[in-house]
Amino acid sequence: MSEPQTTLDPVLISVMANRLDGIVREMTNTLLRSARSAVISSARDFSCCLVTGEDELLAPAEGLPVHIFGCHIQTANMRKYHEGDIRRGDAYLDNDPYGGNTHPADHTFMVPVFWEGEHLFTAVSKCHMADIGNSIPSSYFVRARDVYEEGALVFPGVRIQRDFKNVEDIMRMCRARIRVPDQWYGDYLAGLGSARIAERRLEAFCEKYGKDTVKAFMREWLDYSERRMIDSIRRLPKASLTNKGKSDPLEGMLPDGLELTVKIDIDPDAGEIHVDLRDNPPSIDAGLNTSLGSATSAVVGAIFNALDKDLPRNEGAFRRLHFKYAEDSVVAAPTFPHSCSVSTTNVAERLVNITQSAFAQLGDGHGLSEGGAGLGAGMAVISGRDLGRGGQPYVNRLMLSTNGGPASAEADGWVNYALPVIAGLMYRDSVEVDELKHPIRVESLSLVTDSAGAGRRRGAPAQQIEYGPTGAPMTAVISCDGQHHQPRGVIGGLPGTAGETWLIQDDAQPERLPNVAHVTIDVGQRIRGRDSAGGGYGDPLDREPERVLVDVLEGWETRQKAEDVYGVVFTGEIDDETLAIDAVATATRRDELRAARAA
Amino acid sequence: MGYRISVDTGGTFTDMVLLDEDDRFHVGKALTTSDRISEGMFAALDVIAEALGKTAKTLLAETDILIYGTTRATNAIVTRKTARTAFLTTSGFRDVLVFKEGGKHGPHDYSYDYPQPYIPRRHTFEIDERTGSGGDIVRPLDEAQARTVVETLKARGFEAVAVSLLWSIANNEHEAKIGELIEEIMPGVPYTLSHRLAPILREYRRASATAIDASLKPLMQAHLRRMQSDLRDAGFAGDLLVSTSVGGFQEIETLVERPINTLKSGPAMAPVAARAYAAVEHMGGDVIVCDAGGTTFDVGLVRDGQLVYSRDSWLGPLWTGDIIGASTVDVRSIGAGGGSIAWVDPGGLLRVGPQSAGSVPGPACYGGGGREPTVTDAALVLGYIDPDYFNGGRLTLDRAAAEAVIGTLAATLGKDVDETAHAILVIANELMIKAIGEITVNDGVNPRESVVVAGGGAAGFNIMPIARELGCETVILPRTASALSACGMQYSSIVFEATRSRFTDSAGFDRTGVNAALDEIDAELLAFRDSLGIAAASEVTIEYFVEARYRAQVWELDTALSKPHLDDDADVAELIEAFHRTHDRVYAVRDDESPVECVNWKGRISIRPFEPPPSPDPSDATHAPDAATTRDCYFGDGVRVPTPIYRGADLTAGAAVSGPAIIEEPTTTIVVYPGMSARLSVAGDYILNSL
Repeated sequence: MSEPQTTLDPVLISVMANRLDGIVREMTNTLLRSARSAVISSARDFSCCLVTGEDELLAPAEGLPVHIFGCHIQTANMRKYHEGDIRRGDAYLDNDPYGGNTHPADHTFMVPVFWEGEHLFTAVSKCHMADIGNSIPSSYFVRARDVYEEGALVFPGVRIQRDFKNVEDIMRMCRARIRVPDQWYGDYLAGLGSARIAERRLEAFCEKYGKDTVKAFMREWLDYSERRMIDSIRRLPKASLTNKGKSDPLEGMLPDGLELTVKIDIDPDAGEIHVDLRDNPPSIDAGLNTSLGSATSAVVGAIFNALDKDLPRNEGAFRRLHFKYAEDSVVAAPTFPHSCSVSTTNVAERLVNITQSAFAQLGDGHGLSEGGAGLGAGMAVISGRDLGRGGQPYVNRLMLSTNGGPASAEADGWVNYALPVIAGLMYRDSVEVDELKHPIRVESLSLVTDSAGAGRRRGAPAQQIEYGPTGAPMTAVISCDGQHHQPRGVIGGLPGTAGETWLIQDDAQPERLPNVAHVTIDVGQRIRGRDSAGGGYGDPLDREPERVLVDVLEGWETRQKAEDVYGVVFTGEIDDETLAIDAVATATRRDELRAARAA
Repeated sequence: MGYRISVDTGGTFTDMVLLDEDDRFHVGKALTTSDRISEGMFAALDVIAEALGKTAKTLLAETDILIYGTTRATNAIVTRKTARTAFLTTSGFRDVLVFKEGGKHGPHDYSYDYPQPYIPRRHTFEIDERTGSGGDIVRPLDEAQARTVVETLKARGFEAVAVSLLWSIANNEHEAKIGELIEEIMPGVPYTLSHRLAPILREYRRASATAIDASLKPLMQAHLRRMQSDLRDAGFAGDLLVSTSVGGFQEIETLVERPINTLKSGPAMAPVAARAYAAVEHMGGDVIVCDAGGTTFDVGLVRDGQLVYSRDSWLGPLWTGDIIGASTVDVRSIGAGGGSIAWVDPGGLLRVGPQSAGSVPGPACYGGGGREPTVTDAALVLGYIDPDYFNGGRLTLDRAAAEAVIGTLAATLGKDVDETAHAILVIANELMIKAIGEITVNDGVNPRESVVVAGGGAAGFNIMPIARELGCETVILPRTASALSACGMQYSSIVFEATRSRFTDSAGFDRTGVNAALDEIDAELLAFRDSLGIAAASEVTIEYFVEARYRAQVWELDTALSKPHLDDDADVAELIEAFHRTHDRVYAVRDDESPVECVNWKGRISIRPFEPPPSPDPSDATHAPDAATTRDCYFGDGVRVPTPIYRGADLTAGAAVSGPAIIEEPTTTIVVYPGMSARLSVAGDYILNSL
């Protein structure tokens, strides 16, 4: 461990770190509130951060875990592509999954910040755009055989502003190819505005503290972060963990899905964690390949789930994480021209689950169960024409229903989890807002009783939604990876239920759709989607009966499941508020269940 | 004219302010008596009566108006003592209160459970009906089913009913019908219909407001009526008014119909006070108000002389608490104060909070068993507090205990005790600087062009360095700072809001529809005015707003209308331009090409039944007062310096001191740091400046 070699007053370091945190929070708030598409303003599918002029991640906002790693590669590429020609007033756009970015849908806006002629910071905001000019009306294209079929416009570190003015060539390119270009432009303004606000604040920051102090601060903040990381890793047991998991099949392309492997070596003595991602299938002819940025972020985020809750997430902490990647793999090492269209979800979701549950191998108290996964019908990309608004086209990703979160050793799963890569940070769409914005009607939206993975701590239950178009047929693109392999429990916890999707013409005969589906829903038809539920943590027979009582009172679990799975027996009734735990019968029931297991 | 009394009953203290016939304020404080609030009020009144040489009974009998601010509703919610309330909603959407709006604190923190809904799922009932987004009836109300539900509620003994159906804002027919069924089947049981209480878009916000309001009705009706009779019994014959979350007050008859409006009414009055103080000192415009208590630090704003409102106000934490939904004065609260605990993290940096020693065990120097170093301990060690004159001498502090706990921390850090104590204050200030930064940035207010008004017992320790860091040149710290909210009530008005949801956009603006909505708002506001018992001839102002956004945005911004009716296209164009300017101010971008969507329309009526206290004539004349004593204090430059200590009671208008100095008021201590100055104004406020 490197001893603190502080030359700045530690109080000043705290103060300066606080100011930078204020800046990234302001970036985040600006982007969130002023963005146009629901995927940003509701689903919060964006992240802001500050990178040093030497391409080290310095200060991320509280953004999506799947965005945490890779911005420093993008800023490095920006500097390489434009060496000798970067100056104040410039801004750059990058969405190249082969250049550190997550996936092409994430348009990354980078503003280099100069002080006294020196490039000290790059302000970065990364936004998932509602449309990016793909060959299908979705920014997620699972079945894309390669980048050409995918069709996204790709901008490898392209200059989009000089002297604070748009490079209009690029604007015209985007407007010529992106569906609902005004929506894209609105989001562009929001994303760029957020980086520009950071620029203003950082210039004031440099003016206040002076260049030398700012540079010393950056060095010391990263060293401090590294010390925190070392301390946290040192408190883990020494262990080698290997965990595997499977992704859903892809009809006609990947009948067995993919088997994914994450190997983790924890070296508390050295204060390091080594991750080996090499034992994974080669790149595939589909949009499921994960970029270096996405796959690493997924694993890094899941490792942070296993460490102290308030560790700084930056280059200093990353110094203690070491990755081994394959030459050619669906995980972190795609080869061109393979598509990474859904790089931030599907396989990445599985990587989060595999990694966070691997830590449970360290024993009770460590790691998490698997969280509900898959972009189901409630998170579909919908598109069509709005007859009530003169037939104008619409395209957007919904965030109406979400998967249930994983359980930890201390807490039950989080209801509004969304996806392992979102980790509950998103906002839900309002049914009324979505019905106002688009010609759709939601028929129902509720929790699914008895879906949760049982455990001492229970996963969050699944949700089910049903909706359809009101005026004209609607296209829904559903890119779900959560319908074949249930989110698993750990330490004796049980799995949560998997997701399902149906097309409904006639309530008596719902038509089951595959997990990845691109369907047209006619007026009068509806789509019904059930998301997956989080896995449990620990033995359900160890769950406090008081918690089971609340679950049953609230209809999250049935009385039957309480008796069968949790071994908790009640007297009285819910309706007259007399439901109570029968302690004696519960003890007996639990003994019986334990005995039956042993037999 | 008789006296005017305002009372702010907090969780711990009841603050009372009495305005006498010479327009002077008198402050009384007493412990809050939560079992019977009036007892604490009378105790506070005794304090004032004693100072005036009268009896409390006489004072009360000679009082014309009493304004009551209550935390009763908040406390009832926190302690879960609200009514057993049923929640009725559209079939298929029973989980609206469970789902809330999403959002989570800490992407890697899985240590806490998902919150329970405000009303349990087992008390939620689905009604078979559906209205569409255009107000069309998609599925007619199944009256027989609804009747069965209401009969079930009666049979199960529910004490209140909240009804919030999808799209009741577009067509209230179904909600109104259910209201009739409740009146018929459960006469006398209070209920709330969402379209009447909070006709705003977004089903969760409306449902949450409705649920909270209904659950408070039985309790608040009883509480307010009892207060009324307690006061009558004590000889009060004047008008009783109750302060609300929109920064005004209302008659009891209005408030018992909307008890949700009493939530956060105390903090909402701080910006009202701040606006008044800034005006008295001729420093109007943008004002940042900071109220620093023992455990929380509240920040609010006055922008261009106007209060700032929000619909994003939560009971409990953002996202995981329960949204109030109704419009409230925007006041943000962070957990930071004298009780915040200092510690060293594993990376070797000093941190302050979020853990707090609270008031029990409290800071180490309280002698109540606290073993952790707190901000108050640091202030004591630095010499800012006289251990024998804390809180007017009512609590003697243990300086040695403070030095001991800070000494332990100092040893860990390798610094001396003074440096460590000073570092604790600097880092504690950072939390407050960030909180102020966020609210000002959110509303496009520049701290450099604002004045700070500070209140609360703990503000004087650090408000000046905080203001200096933010670039604010001037801080107003009223002598009555410890009762900021109660003072605010003295400057307040009857305020009432009416809202209509009418969606349209600038690409095809529905002027007729909007004007119809504005007319309905007007009618509701005027009917409200006519219903008032007092203030028939009072000065009335009405302001109009629209919550608008660019097409496809999700979040709206409040934009003021310059007139109550949109007569022609030019009026619409002016409104749209006003929105562009607002967006530019808040987000630093405008998009002239984009259509502007208008969502909710709002009218706010203000009726002033009495005049606020007049401002005294200002004077620039200053004099240098004599110090009461000196003490060695530490301000961060490596050495202690002899520092003059002034007693506030000795100071007269125009007294001016330069830092380093300390001014001790009975309920607050003002630290005038080196390089700063303080002056006592004619109006009795301390004006603090960086030199």
